[in-house]
Amino acid sequence: MSGDQAPHSTAAPHLPDASGVPEEPGMVAALGAEGISLFQTARELYSIFVRTLYYCFRGRREPGAVLEQMYEIGNRSLFFLTVVMGFFGTILVYQAGLQNKRVLPDLTMLGATFLELLVRDLAASIGALMLATRVGAGIAAEIGSMVVTEQIDALRMSAADPIDYLIKPRFVASILMTTVLIIWSATVAFTAGMAAAYFFFDVPPRTFSNVALVDVGDLSIGLAKCVAYGAAIPIVSGHSGLAAHGGSEGVGWATTRAVVNTSLAVIMLNLVISTIGLMIFGG
Amino acid sequence: MTAAAKKAPPASRRYTGEPSGLHAVGQSFFLIAETAGGMGMLFGRVMARIFTLRVDGAELMRNLYKMGFKSMPIVIVTVLFTGAIMVIQAAPLVQRFGAYGLLGWGAGFGTLREVAPLLTALMINGRVGANNTAELGTMVVTEQIDALRVLAIDPISFLVAPRFIAIIVTLFVSTLFADALALLGAAYSGYGLLGVEPGVFYNGLTSGLLGFGDVMSGLVKSVVFGVVMALASCQYGLNVKGGAPGVGRAVNATVVASAAGIFILDYFVSFSL
Repeated sequence: MSGDQAPHSTAAPHLPDASGVPEEPGMVAALGAEGISLFQTARELYSIFVRTLYYCFRGRREPGAVLEQMYEIGNRSLFFLTVVMGFFGTILVYQAGLQNKRVLPDLTMLGATFLELLVRDLAASIGALMLATRVGAGIAAEIGSMVVTEQIDALRMSAADPIDYLIKPRFVASILMTTVLIIWSATVAFTAGMAAAYFFFDVPPRTFSNVALVDVGDLSIGLAKCVAYGAAIPIVSGHSGLAAHGGSEGVGWATTRAVVNTSLAVIMLNLVISTIGLMIFGG
Repeated sequence: MTAAAKKAPPASRRYTGEPSGLHAVGQSFFLIAETAGGMGMLFGRVMARIFTLRVDGAELMRNLYKMGFKSMPIVIVTVLFTGAIMVIQAAPLVQRFGAYGLLGWGAGFGTLREVAPLLTALMINGRVGANNTAELGTMVVTEQIDALRVLAIDPISFLVAPRFIAIIVTLFVSTLFADALALLGAAYSGYGLLGVEPGVFYNGLTSGLLGFGDVMSGLVKSVVFGVVMALASCQYGLNVKGGAPGVGRAVNATVVASAAGIFILDYFVSFSL
């Protein structure tokens, strides 16, 4: 996930170097290095996650920092998310309506199907992808700048774990605000879709707002996704930020990696949760 | 502007540095206008270089390799998963109506028109757009751009135009890959989850409900997204101020601006096609 991007790849020490001659890594060595670095990233992510959870219960109580992060993550993303989800809802209903008309000309279930899809997957996943770019890049840029200006080392020297100090407030704030923002973005997308259905296909809003297809399964899958994405974004991007090194280039690398890895994490979690949901709740 | 500067407003209403609500709105409006104008100017300059063929070839090849080839693993992983997710989301509908033959059509339509171009653009935005801003920003912060100017090398034709072309080509080719691979992922997850044979899936895909226009719509989108992403990332990268934190902020601003631009343009392209 990160091997090709990080110049500080941890793979180098694992190459055989008995002869003292620097070897060009071959195909197998490159694959192995990739595998090792993937494994190490996974282990580091796990370690950060566990330590964050530990500090959530045993760490310093610091509601001020959490509130500040909630403002930073939540309020500052609101406009961006509203714009994106508004356009997204409109496009989706427009495209779905066009296709629907090709097969069967009855559009009464358009709204119900759209709402079900939004609740179960699209609001959470598209919203989280957007948050991954905005919030993930923000966290990585901030923590990365702290790393290269040696503020993290200063924290460590003062016996304060950067995980407790920096990641934990973001973690708590992100879980809360991601859930709130995703519920909001589902509302925005649904309203935009309702307007689109009314203007393009003459579906009255009363017919469009039909909650008949949303059941407990859809709601629980949607909420599980909110919480999972909210937890994953600060952990993955915080890890990228903490791994930054060496000047402005390092911050740039960290931010890039954060965006890519967070988006990948969202997509993978989506697949996992959707599959589990399909198994538990069926159709 | 000058008239207002000559006649100073009364002290109580003068700008004190504490932005009021209205002030903040105006300020962000001006910021957005400045960025959009800068992107327009940059687009004009890049186009002038491209049409007069003043583009550095070696830099173009290097960027094509770095942006296009190196992004392939991410694109492949993303779209294989996405294809599978499409099928999982379509599964309840398909099972409810027993419309197994329509699975290929449903997944194919969504993938070709929206999901593949959109998700590829978002992933490439994270990988390439952000990286491009970081790289240009680092060059600005370490005064390498000024050094180029001192050497009478035009930074636009040496740095920006090759990146501009490379990003657009990368996105176009990645979207082609993404179309094919997402449908492959969808076909096999449909087989695994719903027991729909890949042959049936293929039939649903080619039975006439989908045309070449659906593929073209996605590809046109990918080019439009590429232009936005290239302009945004170069513009923010070239305007970095203030060291390493400045680079971080610029990268953050780029990915946000590109993502918003991608969705907004997706809307307009969807309607105009």
